[in-house]
Amino acid sequence: MSRDLHQSLQLLDDRHTRRAIMSGIAQSTLGVSLLSGWNRVLEAAPAAGGKKAKQVIYFYMGGAMSHIDTFDPKPELPDIQGEVGTIKTKTPGVLFGEPMQNLAELQDKIAIVRSMTTETADHGKAAYWLKTSYPVLNSIRHPSMGAWIVNTMGKLSQTLPPFVLVGNGNGHPGAGFLNPSLTPVPVADPAKGIENTELPEYLSEKAFKRRLSLADRIDAKFKSRYHGYQIESYDQMYKDAVTLMGSKDLEAFDLEQESEEVRDRYGSSRIGQGALLARRLVQSGVRFVEVEYGGWDMHENVATNMATRGGEMDQALGSLIRDLDSSGLLDETLIVLTSEFGRSPAINQNAGRDHHPAAFSFLLAGAGIQGGAVYGKSDERGHGIDEDPVGLTDFNSTITVACGLDPFKEHFSPSGRPFKIGGGGDPIYDVLS
Amino acid sequence: MRSMNVIQSSNSSLWRGLSAAGCCVAVIFMSLAAEAAKPKKEWKPPASKLPKVVTEKPDGPVMKVAPIDRKARPEVEAAAAKIDAILQAYWREHGAEPNTKTDDHEFVRRVYLELAGRIPTIEEAESFCAASGSAKRGKLIDDLLESPGYVSHFYNFWADILRLRERPSREVWFEPYMAWVKESIAENRPYDEWVFEMLTATGRISENPAAGFQLRDIGTPLVYLDNTVRVFLGTQIGCAQCHDHPFDKWTQQDFYKLAGLTNGTRYSINQVLFGNMNMAAGGGSAESLSAAATAFFKNQDDLVYNVSKINYERGLAEEADEIDRGSRDYLAALTKMVSNLDTEFRLPYDYRYDDAQPLDIIEPTVLWGEIPSAAQTADKRTQFGAWLTARDNRQFARTIANRMWKKVMGVGLVEPVDDFQEGNIPAIPELLEHLTDEMLRLDFDLREFVRIIASTDVYQRLAVEYDSTAAEPYRFTGPALKRMTAEQLWDSLLTLIAVNEWAYQRPSVAELAPGISVDVSAINYEQFAEAYKTYKQIKNDFRGRLNRTSYKGLQLVRASELPQPSPANHLMRQFGQGDRLAIETARQVATVPQILTLFNGWMTHAMLEQGSVIYDEVAKQKTMRGAVDTIFLAILTHKPTPQMRQLAEREIKQAETPAAGCGNLIWALLNTREFMFIE
Repeated sequence: MSRDLHQSLQLLDDRHTRRAIMSGIAQSTLGVSLLSGWNRVLEAAPAAGGKKAKQVIYFYMGGAMSHIDTFDPKPELPDIQGEVGTIKTKTPGVLFGEPMQNLAELQDKIAIVRSMTTETADHGKAAYWLKTSYPVLNSIRHPSMGAWIVNTMGKLSQTLPPFVLVGNGNGHPGAGFLNPSLTPVPVADPAKGIENTELPEYLSEKAFKRRLSLADRIDAKFKSRYHGYQIESYDQMYKDAVTLMGSKDLEAFDLEQESEEVRDRYGSSRIGQGALLARRLVQSGVRFVEVEYGGWDMHENVATNMATRGGEMDQALGSLIRDLDSSGLLDETLIVLTSEFGRSPAINQNAGRDHHPAAFSFLLAGAGIQGGAVYGKSDERGHGIDEDPVGLTDFNSTITVACGLDPFKEHFSPSGRPFKIGGGGDPIYDVLS
Repeated sequence: MRSMNVIQSSNSSLWRGLSAAGCCVAVIFMSLAAEAAKPKKEWKPPASKLPKVVTEKPDGPVMKVAPIDRKARPEVEAAAAKIDAILQAYWREHGAEPNTKTDDHEFVRRVYLELAGRIPTIEEAESFCAASGSAKRGKLIDDLLESPGYVSHFYNFWADILRLRERPSREVWFEPYMAWVKESIAENRPYDEWVFEMLTATGRISENPAAGFQLRDIGTPLVYLDNTVRVFLGTQIGCAQCHDHPFDKWTQQDFYKLAGLTNGTRYSINQVLFGNMNMAAGGGSAESLSAAATAFFKNQDDLVYNVSKINYERGLAEEADEIDRGSRDYLAALTKMVSNLDTEFRLPYDYRYDDAQPLDIIEPTVLWGEIPSAAQTADKRTQFGAWLTARDNRQFARTIANRMWKKVMGVGLVEPVDDFQEGNIPAIPELLEHLTDEMLRLDFDLREFVRIIASTDVYQRLAVEYDSTAAEPYRFTGPALKRMTAEQLWDSLLTLIAVNEWAYQRPSVAELAPGISVDVSAINYEQFAEAYKTYKQIKNDFRGRLNRTSYKGLQLVRASELPQPSPANHLMRQFGQGDRLAIETARQVATVPQILTLFNGWMTHAMLEQGSVIYDEVAKQKTMRGAVDTIFLAILTHKPTPQMRQLAEREIKQAETPAAGCGNLIWALLNTREFMFIE
């Protein structure tokens, strides 16, 4: 990219300007306006018979997953493909990276997008941008997609949290400026579920309530001084914790309820157990489950690391898709798998791949998605984008539409700023059913 | 229902009767079981007790900390007054008023948390509050700054920035480096000095622990550069690794020119010999590499021979079950060493700007200013370290001044503290420049700098809620309201439990030395096996000591002494301890599991065990009034207001036994926002 082009792209970064230009182009060539995209969704959806998602399972591969070794292999160029081989999928000509054994078999049920691109190679910033559609700014806390979706679609279960995060959750944008009740409940270790949910044997419920009310009344003086966002979040979490403790559905968090055979099928890895937990939670009415799985920052030995990490991911996802499919829940559940950016086509001196934001891939499956779709093209080397670039807001708007929500409707932050779910990007209609 | 008379007339203490019955204090809840639906069920007190090592006082000083210069107090006050004057002018300009002054109870709690990492004990708080005279706040600040708590707390602060983990990768040991960081804080070494030492350290981590800083980014020299500039110069040049920075002025060529100074680092003996780092940059002939390697190892042949031979015999021993697999990592760790290799460095193959060609050889240069003349003939990493830490590299001083200001006050004058750029204007530019001057005047004595800020009038004010998204800007009219960090919370809970919070300390550099100071270039296999045995003994010994502090799987020692980071479901991780995978990942955000842990977790239980600090303090009390006061003082550092007392006493009377009521009160106070936030 030349320096000038870089600058002009920056000038064009204002989404409205950009879409206005793009829609101008579209109008002159296709006779449709992208600004009326929502109408198109409404019209297109019934025609295609696609059912929209009621629930979402969102896999975030932290550390940046290599696109070349998973969903966008380059077997023609051995120096780029490296040691990780490829595998044929159900569709002739569509190859995956070799560790994707299960997903290759299930390729007709999933959509792959190979032309995602982002703007930063800093893990933390890129992850925030990915999950919220906006860059980190000092002056505002943007909600994550999970919070937006729960906020708009509501709770399904009276007692279970609507948004669960399998992972530690440090740095997750969470509820952003939306109500703190939309903060995901983190489950650090899926095998352990949510701990400390039971009162000690000696403590009656009555005494517990008395303790709570005592704490509340003693705190009154402090709260007359301080009542801002941080304090409010804690007040909300106390309410949520008490509700959760009284929930009869808590066993949704208990993987011991599953047979050994089932647990093995998902794999003993954290993503395997996380996927199984996600399935149980979705069955019990959790609206949005996010599974974080790190370890993809493979600056060294990408081939060996991919064999384990990639294999674990493939096994987990494969089992989940199969189970949801056979129970019919796949028709109501959207599955997303992505990471904050990709990894360099060039293999470095340590047999690893470095950060690469210019081109990478993501996966969608289930409700609202056209199985078997392969959208977008990276260039010959997997370095830049050749066809149909997809930005972060386009990605998030696609999720929005798959959930049956309006990606162009404005929602207002408490300070009165307008936002769209998914950041106002252009949904990828070619992968939507 | 029990009456107050019962308690007051009792000639034994409130809790003693229960203890005498041979039960732990959890028994106070026993009668509550009667209230519940299953009255006939026999209640058994939990068998577990607190480990002895934490319930007994330590028998000597726990740590040597560099003494503070008490005579310098007047100068500290004068320096603090200058900061206040700048703030006052700023407030006048913006029509802002400073917040109310803290009373002694509020101040003592905050300053303990901020400088020693935990809430004060009853005794500590009371002795401060009872003291008279205007000098007592300054004296307390000075006392705390030379306490082990200061070292522990500031270690935690740096551990989050420096990403300290025991094993950043399987073959890299970090214990000596972590110990070195802590010792540097205890000795109060000047910041510019220890940073320079980290940036230029060569050799193995066992002989030069500062080499850990470079080894944290083993194998990734460009990531290393990005992280280093971000931490110490508050500047984010990472974007420019792949393309010109979109929002800042840095070009890809700037990045590569700077990388030319640090990229020559090698991380292991093999790399020095075979130079595999250099292949990527596309430069360096076999001859130049071999020449460079020879320069480092006079006995190059011995070394290769030795490492291969040890490796081979180690393999045989493993097969014969005479040595375990851990020895492989041990050997690998012994071969990790940092060395400089001044080879040429090139632009990437996909360089796409007009000012140079891909793979052009780079002439290394710094981002701004010049390499200090004294270092100009030194190796490139030394040039880099000398430039970065130079006194006239003002951004180095400014970055740390802003960071330490934030550490004490809660909000940086530039936020985020690692993203200085032209568009990111400091909240009070003249204050930031003044603090930068102060940092230079103090010759990078961070503790003295903290001492001055803690001694300002503004720091004596009540906390102000800070919300970066609020319409009304924060005017620094008091420190920002902060939730305790995970470590502060842990250490505060520990204060309520452990008489000895220092029942275990991580091994020091000297304690580790016998197991790791092995020169693999000069030993045979027998000596290797012997060294491995020693290493394992030391490890097991320390593990044993740590485990002796365990209660229900929780090791009751200061956060700084625990394995790092804690496991994902540990209380500290729930409360946002960083995973140490990236720079500053700690958070103070509310989540549901935190609350569940405080409700029902073992740390809360531990407090109600006989022998815990709070148990014993309450048990000493003869009146209900005394018991209530004690619980409030221990947990919230103040006595109850009349209204709170009424609530508390009503609860104790209402409970089945007074002891159960006390337990409920303790639980309730731990679950207030007031406990969790630093006012």
